[in-house]
Amino acid sequence: MPDVLRDRAGVALGAGALALIAVVLIATGEKESLVIGVISGAAYGLLALGLVLIYKSSGVFNFAQGEFGTIAVYVLYLLHFEVPYGLALLGALVAAVVFGLLLERLVIRPLYDSSRVILLVATAGVALLAISVEIWFGDAQGKTIDRAFPTLDRFSILGVQVSDQRLLLLGVLATLAVVLALFFNRTNLGLAVIGASQEPTATELVGISVRRLSTFTWALAALLGGLAGVIAVPDSGGFTPGILTSAFLIPAFTAAVLGGMTSLPGAFLGGVIVGVIQAVATSAPLFDFIPGSAGTLVVFVVLVGVLAIRPQGLLGRAA
Amino acid sequence: MATTIDRPVTEPEPEPEQGRQGDRPFRPSPLGWLARAVLALALAWLVFVFPLSQEGFEVQRFTTAVIYGIIGLSLNVLLGYVGQISLGHQAFVGIGAFTSAYMVSVQNQPFWVAVAAAAAVGGLQALVLGGASLRITGLYFALVTLSYGLVAEQNIFQVEELTGGGQGQAAPKPAGFETDWRYYYLCLAFLALVLWVDWRLMRSKGGRALLALQENPRVAATFGVNVRMLTLFAFVVSGVFAGLGGALLAHNDTFVSPEVWSFNLALVFVIMTVVGGLRNRAGVVIGSAFFALLPYLIDQIGFIEDAVAAIPAPRELTAELAPLVLGPLLLILTLVRAPGGIGQQIRPIQRWLGGHRFDLHDHGPKEVKVADVRA
Repeated sequence: MPDVLRDRAGVALGAGALALIAVVLIATGEKESLVIGVISGAAYGLLALGLVLIYKSSGVFNFAQGEFGTIAVYVLYLLHFEVPYGLALLGALVAAVVFGLLLERLVIRPLYDSSRVILLVATAGVALLAISVEIWFGDAQGKTIDRAFPTLDRFSILGVQVSDQRLLLLGVLATLAVVLALFFNRTNLGLAVIGASQEPTATELVGISVRRLSTFTWALAALLGGLAGVIAVPDSGGFTPGILTSAFLIPAFTAAVLGGMTSLPGAFLGGVIVGVIQAVATSAPLFDFIPGSAGTLVVFVVLVGVLAIRPQGLLGRAA
Repeated sequence: MATTIDRPVTEPEPEPEQGRQGDRPFRPSPLGWLARAVLALALAWLVFVFPLSQEGFEVQRFTTAVIYGIIGLSLNVLLGYVGQISLGHQAFVGIGAFTSAYMVSVQNQPFWVAVAAAAAVGGLQALVLGGASLRITGLYFALVTLSYGLVAEQNIFQVEELTGGGQGQAAPKPAGFETDWRYYYLCLAFLALVLWVDWRLMRSKGGRALLALQENPRVAATFGVNVRMLTLFAFVVSGVFAGLGGALLAHNDTFVSPEVWSFNLALVFVIMTVVGGLRNRAGVVIGSAFFALLPYLIDQIGFIEDAVAAIPAPRELTAELAPLVLGPLLLILTLVRAPGGIGQQIRPIQRWLGGHRFDLHDHGPKEVKVADVRA
């Protein structure tokens, strides 16, 4: 089947499922979970995008992706007392990128020839290191950061009030979707990244350094993770060490798997679907019989379900 | 990047080495045997006698170290033999702990039944999760177990009947093993049992097939190895060990609370196994015990405490936090510089104890690279 057709089938499947959920939610008066779900799904999508990028370039599941975001959040927290908020945001993103570059340079590159599972263990170890340093230098207590845009009630979508910060998140995601699509389809660098992920040997043969591209990919993924952190966390009220790993990483991975693990648009789509499903599970009385947080269990069921029924995801290539 | 690193593998015993005079194999002198006996006795003293000279609370820590050895061996089956990783092992261990506590405290079953139930539940979980995630490449098992760990933390451990709600579940020590040191010996016996089972399994036909599988699944499949069944079998073995470890842990603390089974703990389990040395039983047990005892070592040994206090940081590095900071650093160092871990480093001493010449550079047989066959 040609690529375009297969992609369309996946998009149709995903969009159809999403539309069905949306109609049911609006009909049953659960509009709030729909809006909240799309917004938190946007954050998952951002994180999932980084996961997919790294999976495509290094073939590894990056369990430190969440910590790119948490590091950025901590730097934002420390800086926003000292300097204007915009500058603090910039510093936070720079910190995330530096962390990503260090990780690539000190851990990923020396392990270039190791098995994928060993690389995975290494990224998980880096995540734990980041979390424990956060506990050590800060403390285990929850902290709060101000939003970049403090107004809460300027807009409402479907009768649900949406804070400016959430609009920012949606805006950033929409802008990134366009920018990244152009980047990967129109620029030499973007095409080189895609090429290196598909045929590393052929890419080297035409004179492109795959290793340098790998460095770039890790930096880009870290930037996306940092963005997800600094936009989504101030809106959610508070944060603790390892917040993005504990609260965002698994939904983001589920989103990436749902999207097909190799598809960038799939990661966006998967993020929104997982966000909506999780929001519904958390608020709908239907799931009250589940002990603890129903959202966690439902995300797990989605993950296992996708792996069992459609392992190639919505937009991925058959494994 | 082309630094050659010795990667040890489990291999049949190397052929007897040549002595200096012709073909006669090397035999240590009587003095040499004496030195070996002294070291062996010292090690035995460290394991069997030394912990008993400690206070009751400290004996519990040593027991924890022994149980961590079992948990490390459980992960070694996955990570070392099958080449799969579980990032949700805290859930396997934790559910084992709660199963055993529930059987004893709520169902009033004897300890032995409870431990068997915990091991069975552990094996069953591994079977279901493994079956679901084995359809595609191995990386997905890490993902599924990570997600499962969070489900255990946020859903399963919230079931009030199993975990006693927020208060936790009591898990009294078994009859006949009420004192801390008796329980310590019981756990040592369990560790010996697990070591023996692990050893016998790896020497069986299935065990050899597993090693072939780890080396290259496609080639192994070509030789008629049933990849799926064997991998699932290894998952179940790992789950059984983890459930057993959890049950022992529960009765050691005489109490299980839902909060301790976090993602951080899962990673500590992985780290202690890798730092110990994959596919090396002695290394894994030593590595696991080391991480379990790290807070104790920092508390007890003066200069370590001073060194830790001297690290410039806004806050003091507590003994509880130290394994979480040191562990990942050791992990990355191990992966990048010495993939054989502790097991690789202690091999010269192990061989020397076994009556061979001391050879500092003996890092075991080199792994045969099969990367070229890999499709």
